[in-house]
Amino acid sequence: MTMEFMQSLKIAASGLKVQSGRMRVIAENIANADSTARAPGQDPYRRKVPTFVSKFDRELGAATVQMGRVERDRSDFKMRHEPGHPAADANGYVKYPNVESLIESVDMREAQRSYEANLNIVSATRRMISRTLDILKA
Amino acid sequence: MSIGDLGLMSALKTRMQWHQARQRVLAENVANADTPSFKAKDLKQPELPVTGDRFAGRARAPAVSLAVTSTGHLAGRGGQGGFGSVDKPNFEVTPSGNAVDLEEQMTKSAENQLDYQTVATLYQQSLGLLRTALGRK
Repeated sequence: MTMEFMQSLKIAASGLKVQSGRMRVIAENIANADSTARAPGQDPYRRKVPTFVSKFDRELGAATVQMGRVERDRSDFKMRHEPGHPAADANGYVKYPNVESLIESVDMREAQRSYEANLNIVSATRRMISRTLDILKA
Repeated sequence: MSIGDLGLMSALKTRMQWHQARQRVLAENVANADTPSFKAKDLKQPELPVTGDRFAGRARAPAVSLAVTSTGHLAGRGGQGGFGSVDKPNFEVTPSGNAVDLEEQMTKSAENQLDYQTVATLYQQSLGLLRTALGRK
């Protein structure tokens, strides 16, 4: 029998990896919240949406989690009246990225929470392993 | 006669394996806490007979395993008996179809860890019992 504790650790590690990948995408969105186009008619930065896929790992024999494709948010861009801007159209409007900082920060909190939950599993499993090793010491 | 032939020891061993398997299932649930249409799972309680004399042999139901007829064949996973899993209906389902309650999983993980420690301590004590019977300190 392979040691199931090691499997638990690997599954939790896949969760940690996915959540940190999600944090990376969120950081990208926040950093580019004001990235407009350089010329009129071009599109500004489009918000990215991370996706998760549950994948059955044949080696582990368990459902791990993986990052799916990073999709683009298809919602409309925000329009702001700035006639002096280099990307302003004929009416003086500039397209701004469809990034809402409130949504991003809530998403970030959720990622943080899931990350901590996975860490919790890791430490619980580690304590169980060390308890098993204690049997040898008696 | 090996240590596993003792009823008490084999029962404790089954219980420890069950806690290991459960920890794996809980890790799966937590890792997939944000995956769309993923449902949380849990393990059934292991079947341990109540009467003391028939512990051995009946602790695990015989499981179906792959036949190995050639040297190149792999034995397959979980051949030596697994634990049944249950899909408990969860009333908290997000719009994406995900039904993992992180708080519930955390309490289950803590509970699993404590129970495992209890069983491991009992196992250790039983080993001490044998040692006493052998006349060592």
